[in-house]
Amino acid sequence: MKRIAVFGYSIMSLEVMSRLNEDEYSLVFIGKDESEADLVAEKGFEVKIIDFRNDDELKSIGIGADVDIIFCFYPTDSDNVFLTISARAIDKSLTIVAIVDDPESAEKLLAAGANKIIDPYEICGRKTYDMLAKPDITNILDATVFGRHDLHIAQIEIGKGSCLENTGTSELRLNEKHNLILIGVVDSDSGEALHFAIGEKEYTLNAGDVLIVLGPSREIRSFKEEVEAV
Amino acid sequence: MLTRLIVCFAYFLRTSSHYKNTKRFFYNLLDNPDSRIKSNFDIVMICLVLFSVILLIYEVDTQLTRFEKLFEQAIVFLFIIEYLLRVWLYNDAHEVVLEHYEKAKYLNSPFRLGEVARLIFAKKIEYVFTPLAVIDLLAILPSYRPVSMLRVLLIFRLFKLLRYFTRLKLFAEVLNSKRFELYNLAILLGFLIFIGSSGIYFFEHPTNAGQVSNLFDAAYWAIVTVSSVGYGDIAPQTTGGRLVAMALILTGLGVLSFFISIVVSAFSEKMQDLRENRTYAELKGYPSFVIICGFGRVGRHIAMQLEKHQQHFVIIDSKEVNASKARRLGYLVIHADASKNEVLINAGIKNKASVVLCTTGDDVINVYITLTSRHLNPAIRIISRANNQENVKKLYQAGADNVIQPFEIAAMVVAEYIGQPVAFEAILGIIREEKQFIMEALCVYPGSVIDGMKISDVDFECRKLMLIGVISANPVHRKHKNSYKLKNEHFYFNPDPCFVLRAGDLLVVLGREIGIDYFRDQIEKSQVKEGRKQ
Repeated sequence: MKRIAVFGYSIMSLEVMSRLNEDEYSLVFIGKDESEADLVAEKGFEVKIIDFRNDDELKSIGIGADVDIIFCFYPTDSDNVFLTISARAIDKSLTIVAIVDDPESAEKLLAAGANKIIDPYEICGRKTYDMLAKPDITNILDATVFGRHDLHIAQIEIGKGSCLENTGTSELRLNEKHNLILIGVVDSDSGEALHFAIGEKEYTLNAGDVLIVLGPSREIRSFKEEVEAV
Repeated sequence: MLTRLIVCFAYFLRTSSHYKNTKRFFYNLLDNPDSRIKSNFDIVMICLVLFSVILLIYEVDTQLTRFEKLFEQAIVFLFIIEYLLRVWLYNDAHEVVLEHYEKAKYLNSPFRLGEVARLIFAKKIEYVFTPLAVIDLLAILPSYRPVSMLRVLLIFRLFKLLRYFTRLKLFAEVLNSKRFELYNLAILLGFLIFIGSSGIYFFEHPTNAGQVSNLFDAAYWAIVTVSSVGYGDIAPQTTGGRLVAMALILTGLGVLSFFISIVVSAFSEKMQDLRENRTYAELKGYPSFVIICGFGRVGRHIAMQLEKHQQHFVIIDSKEVNASKARRLGYLVIHADASKNEVLINAGIKNKASVVLCTTGDDVINVYITLTSRHLNPAIRIISRANNQENVKKLYQAGADNVIQPFEIAAMVVAEYIGQPVAFEAILGIIREEKQFIMEALCVYPGSVIDGMKISDVDFECRKLMLIGVISANPVHRKHKNSYKLKNEHFYFNPDPCFVLRAGDLLVVLGREIGIDYFRDQIEKSQVKEGRKQ
């Protein structure tokens, strides 16, 4: 189970915390003062109050130890930059996700060591455009994949010695066997490149490749188990 | 008898659709500022006016050939026709007849044809004396040979251009809006010229009669001096005359700067209207466009996306800072309050606008704009931004088709990124067409080749496409598994090979753009062929 520390009280932090599955993640909200902490604690989340400018206090909540991911959701960019620098100095392998208010601060956050920058306004703008340009597709994905319906996208890694190693993508026939749709494969050798499962050259799966599938969670689970079975 | 005949004819005109259509056609041709045919007609008329003036200049020292004379006559003939049509369009004479006839019938009073004819005539005369009509008449009259002394007035044809150039009309409007100041200036100028010319005549005529021989010379000198032109052909010789000249030059400078400041301030006041007129004119030329209400952070990103995908849009924002920011970026901007009916109507919400986006940072304003837009156009698509979760419902109630919450979407992105970063990036890349493959919805048109076909027979694999699912509102499909309820329809994920496609279904496919376009073409063409056979 991954441990996530959420810094900064905002609509965004509450929204993210409510979206993350409690079975998969252990969440802790880090507040600046009692009033923030009480508001979040009311919703049933674990809370701690620290001064994020103090490295010892950051270490005390588990950064550098059991915390895997931190969310820097302070409303001011300078606070997020400071937190990112401090956290990165303590833990090199920490995943840091930060929101940005002024688009110019994005580069500063990346330089400070953040892994992912979120600009809510940019995302909203893009989303509105997606809705304009492809209303049908956006509606389906919103209602199913990102919404309440049980239809998800998942990434399944082919482990060493998995039964699917050295199998061609056309032989998988996931839609017939598992009620899943194989969107594509991310080749472990070429980094982020995505091979689509249709119309392309036959691709042979290797250990470390990631399959991107779409389907109901039960089917995804059973397929995952099958892939993991050595 | 004549009266009855005229009344019958008036009734005939009122009911005749042919007459109405003809009149509407000429209205669109000559007067309707929104009609395309008028702008074409204006261009033709501008060319004809310029040709006729060139002929006039050419005629000064050259005899016109027979063909040129014929051409000139043809142009004048066209001007006459245009003039008469404008007189005809000015009002409906038959309506005046019928109004009086019906009134007389109701009151049991006698119907006097002479009085009606006088009213109709008065109305037409009213048109004849409007400034533009006078210009039109002056452009035609001097062509009549017996009054050839008036030929110099043919230059009035150039003024006809006022009618066809909207920008020239605007210049006249600007001057008209400052007429009070201009009248005062004209009085002051008249006074100065009078004093100056009397003064110079008084001082110069007795000693310098060679140059200032009469009052006309004096007035000519005063005008040349006051306008700071100063040809120097008449120069004061006496001390008194020179004093008058000095005073006139100094006051002339003041008058000139006063005139310039009036014109400049009138133009700067009109600048806003000028800009907006340009915006409206450009919008009229687009087949369809998006209205973005609010140019804040979200609005700016949407505009960037629309610009990137070469889609037309207009921004409405009441804040000067946002409006000028959008202007600097080269976007079309209306600096006004989008919650006002008039602003949205002028922007084209009832005409060519296809979508309204309410993206201000204030939910109250978004609800109000949504409601106004829905009220003005029940069929238009409205996407609205909600900053607060509680207001989502209100926006839907106000008539929004979709509501977007910036922080909810960003939170979703974060949650998905943490869980399935690779898969999430892949699906986003597909939606945004950043990858080679795209996801599209294809419609099953009635009578097309795939209407009534089983999924297994479509052979998506051979077409190098992947079927993700089918969106349908058709209850026939309900028996199939893997159905997910959307608003008014269902999404059938990974449908069985025996799933039979029906007209109106939407196929959600993944593939290369070229493959999807080819398949769409095939579907559309097969529908056309089927239509022809029937």
